[in-house]
Amino acid sequence: MKDSLVLLGRILAHPDSRCWFLAWNPAGTLLASCGGDRSVRIWGREGDSWICKSVLCEGHQRTVRKVAWSPCGNYLASASFDATTCIWKKKDDDFECVTTLEGHENEVKSVAWAPSGNLLATCSRDKSVWVWEVDEEDEYECVSVLNSHTQDVKHVVWHPSQELLASASYDDTVKLYREEEDDWVCCATLEGHESTVWSLAFDPSGQRLASCSDDRTVRIWHQYLPGNEQGVACSGSDPSWKCICTLSGFHSRTIYDVAWCQLTGALATACGDDAIRVFEEDPGSDLQQPTFSVTAHVPQAHSQDVNCVAWNPKERGLLASCSDDGELAFWKYQLSEGL
Amino acid sequence: MAGSQDMFEAIVMADERFHGEGYQEGYEKGSSLGMIEGRQYGTLHGAKIGSEIGCYQGFAFAWRCLLHGCTTEKDSKKMKVLESLIGMIQKFPYDDPTYDKLHEDLDRIRGKFKQLCSLLNVHPDFKVSAEGSGLSF
Repeated sequence: MKDSLVLLGRILAHPDSRCWFLAWNPAGTLLASCGGDRSVRIWGREGDSWICKSVLCEGHQRTVRKVAWSPCGNYLASASFDATTCIWKKKDDDFECVTTLEGHENEVKSVAWAPSGNLLATCSRDKSVWVWEVDEEDEYECVSVLNSHTQDVKHVVWHPSQELLASASYDDTVKLYREEEDDWVCCATLEGHESTVWSLAFDPSGQRLASCSDDRTVRIWHQYLPGNEQGVACSGSDPSWKCICTLSGFHSRTIYDVAWCQLTGALATACGDDAIRVFEEDPGSDLQQPTFSVTAHVPQAHSQDVNCVAWNPKERGLLASCSDDGELAFWKYQLSEGL
Repeated sequence: MAGSQDMFEAIVMADERFHGEGYQEGYEKGSSLGMIEGRQYGTLHGAKIGSEIGCYQGFAFAWRCLLHGCTTEKDSKKMKVLESLIGMIQKFPYDDPTYDKLHEDLDRIRGKFKQLCSLLNVHPDFKVSAEGSGLSF
């Protein structure tokens, strides 16, 4: 089991600072990393090694907490503790900051692009989630400010095919939002975690959402549409989300990130115990009460907290991770049953 | 004999009787003081919310005048959000402090105000709302 996650390479991506987050471009050819050194770095493969293609260091005054690629791959958004979000446009091999989004009162914690590329979401320690609309001239307009959370909002993520937004917070909940009459509204609150929810990931179908928490568990939530066969109650026309599986007892510290591979369905976690784990759903497990098993576990994946795990969107089993030690690592996940 | 027994009983029970009377008096006094304090607290915080919303309303009315006659697509978007904020402010139940969605609605007004500021590209002094959002009842 131990051999199923093989280290391919390790890079000191953000020396003397933390490496906070990673994002693959949609083509899977470039990886963006961001860190406490206020920079964003773009990595590309040359032969067997990964080299730094660009350093974006002019945009932010403080830590860059998260980065996100637009679905077209031509734009990169970076969320920073300086209360701003920068939009970078790819020009040949370089990037230019084309817009700075202001409005949050303090640290911006996360940014995410909707699958259409026309909407962008940001969230902040100011407890709010902002939805921005992008027009043809690359101009960004705020379409909603959502104050549903009662604490710091840690992460935002969009549904893979619908305009449904999810946010995770220090208030231990996950909230879902959709558009309603020119404004956005909170349409569901997922309660169950006993501490801060750090990250979220949808499965390839978008019917399931994984959340990871300071309570050392991962929860899998399933979407039930009104009139579902299982008889799960829904209010009005909104689907209802129910926790169908809790992965507990596997992690010994806070789980900072969860990533659901869009190609294989494997679920990877980044943990404060310096380990990376991969889970897969047991073959033949009940869809309404699935069970998962650990298929890979690297105890000392990094020398400090693992902050992020990211599956390559095109190459099956290629996983990137980063840590408080400033390092970025690439792993090859050997799929079980020779798939 | 019966009389002297009553007398002893009165002495024996005095402690309990005075305790009961004292409790009753104290309870009444405390209730009335609590009521006064609660009323003051409510007035103070109600006034804070009123002043915060009043500030948004003044801001919205001023911008409605400023945007009057502007007809570009961008302006009409701003106007739409502006009218939506004014609508929310007008619908707010000022005379019903027991309205269960009071804080939910207040947070929606705050969000709409921030969205409007972002669209107008103005940086308001967030002090009012920052204090407001710290309210806890």
